[in-house]
Amino acid sequence: MICRDHQIKELETILGQTIAQKILALHAGRAAVAVDELVFAKVDMILGTDVTVPLSVEVFRRMGADRIFDPKKTVLVNDHFVPAKDMKAAELSKTMRLFAEEMGIDNYYEVGRSGICHVLLPDEGLVKPGDLIVGADSHTCTYGALGAFSTGIGSTDMAAAWAIGELWFRVPGTIKIEVNGQLPKWVGGKDLALHIIGHLGVEGALYKAMEFTGPTIRNLSMDGRLTLCNMAIEAGAKTGIVAPDEVTRQFMSKFPELSYTPQVADSDAEYVEEHHFDVSDLPLQVAKPYLPSNAVPVHEVMGQQVHQVVLGSCTNGHLSDFQLAADAMKGQKVNPKTRLIVIPSTKDVYLELIRSGLAEYFTEAGAVIGPPTCGPCIGGHIGVLAEQEVGLYTTNRNFVGRNGHPTSLVFLAGPAVAGATAVAGEIAHPDEI
Amino acid sequence: MSIKPTHFKSRIWLVDEDNIDTDMIFHNKHLHITKLDEMGQHTFGNLPGWEDLPQKAQDGDLLVVGGNFGAGSSRQQAVDCFTALGIPLIIGESFGAIYKRNAINAGVALAECPGITDSGLTSGDVIDVNMETGEIKCDAKSITLQAKPFSQVQMDIYQAGGLFEYGKSVS
Repeated sequence: MICRDHQIKELETILGQTIAQKILALHAGRAAVAVDELVFAKVDMILGTDVTVPLSVEVFRRMGADRIFDPKKTVLVNDHFVPAKDMKAAELSKTMRLFAEEMGIDNYYEVGRSGICHVLLPDEGLVKPGDLIVGADSHTCTYGALGAFSTGIGSTDMAAAWAIGELWFRVPGTIKIEVNGQLPKWVGGKDLALHIIGHLGVEGALYKAMEFTGPTIRNLSMDGRLTLCNMAIEAGAKTGIVAPDEVTRQFMSKFPELSYTPQVADSDAEYVEEHHFDVSDLPLQVAKPYLPSNAVPVHEVMGQQVHQVVLGSCTNGHLSDFQLAADAMKGQKVNPKTRLIVIPSTKDVYLELIRSGLAEYFTEAGAVIGPPTCGPCIGGHIGVLAEQEVGLYTTNRNFVGRNGHPTSLVFLAGPAVAGATAVAGEIAHPDEI
Repeated sequence: MSIKPTHFKSRIWLVDEDNIDTDMIFHNKHLHITKLDEMGQHTFGNLPGWEDLPQKAQDGDLLVVGGNFGAGSSRQQAVDCFTALGIPLIIGESFGAIYKRNAINAGVALAECPGITDSGLTSGDVIDVNMETGEIKCDAKSITLQAKPFSQVQMDIYQAGGLFEYGKSVS
């Protein structure tokens, strides 16, 4: 329905394409696309949550749209303010529920079967390598871990995508991030993410795609890749992508019914920037308030008193994250002066926590286990910080006032530092508690 | 054909700070609000020193901001709240990627103008902005700046009054 004549360019001169270019080209019905070109592309999945869907529904109705272009390509997830934190939140979820019923959207996730969207969607087989995925949540870039082009959009975008199934994109240049070296003990995807963002800065990858490559990435688990790509937006990137490989194939083997076409970069693909990291000696990382780019080695902030540790979120919400934190706690109790809030990210992760014995361990240690929710990560509920309280979170943002009172402070870290900190009552290294 | 202005002459508010995120612009505690009329009063509610902008801003005022404005979440209220206040144009050193597309889609004009926060402009100055050429002028201070003009598609969406109107106009 949209005129494209004025955008079509001669592309014979375009040689190598990055993963981001290839996926956008395929979805725009083109052989190739040029960096900075505007294209209209068909989307494979549209994600909305309880906090962004209601505004989109208003836009959708205002425009006179009355049906979703393909209900199977739409997923609605209750995760931000659920179980409803107050009456206003309850209205948001109700709006989404009624919209799902009206539009015949089967991928509607209700409390109890739901979970944090960015952990839920890969585990439900709703995102695949080579897909073009949009979501009205900025951390939608997470699915790049599977080799998808996946990016956050706003509510007008989502309403348009619901109605017509395609959106405009400016083809981003790609920054190649090559990582070498074996990650030391305790150090994982979160430390890698904070370290890279610390180097690039919070706008170091503005409007760009980040492609993570190199031996360290090839050896990184899918959980670690999801964490890494989740944080790409914190460098300003449109998306973070890992080329599909054996780890990806293994992950997707859980869904034998799904077909997909993996995309990898051409050998002569052109990158707008390249950065090389050697992580053989990378210390555990902590990002100080109020930016995720304020990353420093944990030793620089050790001894900082912490009132609340939050373990979970779309960034570090997999079983492996909870296991790493428990290992770092070494069977010890939560410090009497500190609270540990454990948030399993989905129903499945909750069950794994129970079956593995970790739920019992955390509870006996003095932690509280909450329901799957984004709650404390957005300062919404289940652990909001008071004036001048200090938190250490495995979440992705530590902006002013995001997690509670504007004078509260949040340090970001991975699960190993979170576990050690919960035991010590102050920021700590797991080998030194 | 154009129904939205591409030329602005008005006074500015200069918010000279980088990395102002969407939680500072429109805090998550107000995300239940979906009506435009109710959004304006919460603008900059979590940005120390600027909480009173909704009371001070007048219809037609322009906003000048630093780098990476609108970083963070995808919430569109962080764009719509300025529409509610009658602020038709935001000029910044740079914008968060999602914020920029939200503004374009919602029919709010954005201009990227590297160097504007160091140009000598201060709050209260009156500037002339031509979105077709990207030229920004402040006659009183003899300042001339060059912003990046919108691309054709971005201008088309903006002039149509937003993404949906644009889609209807070309279908």
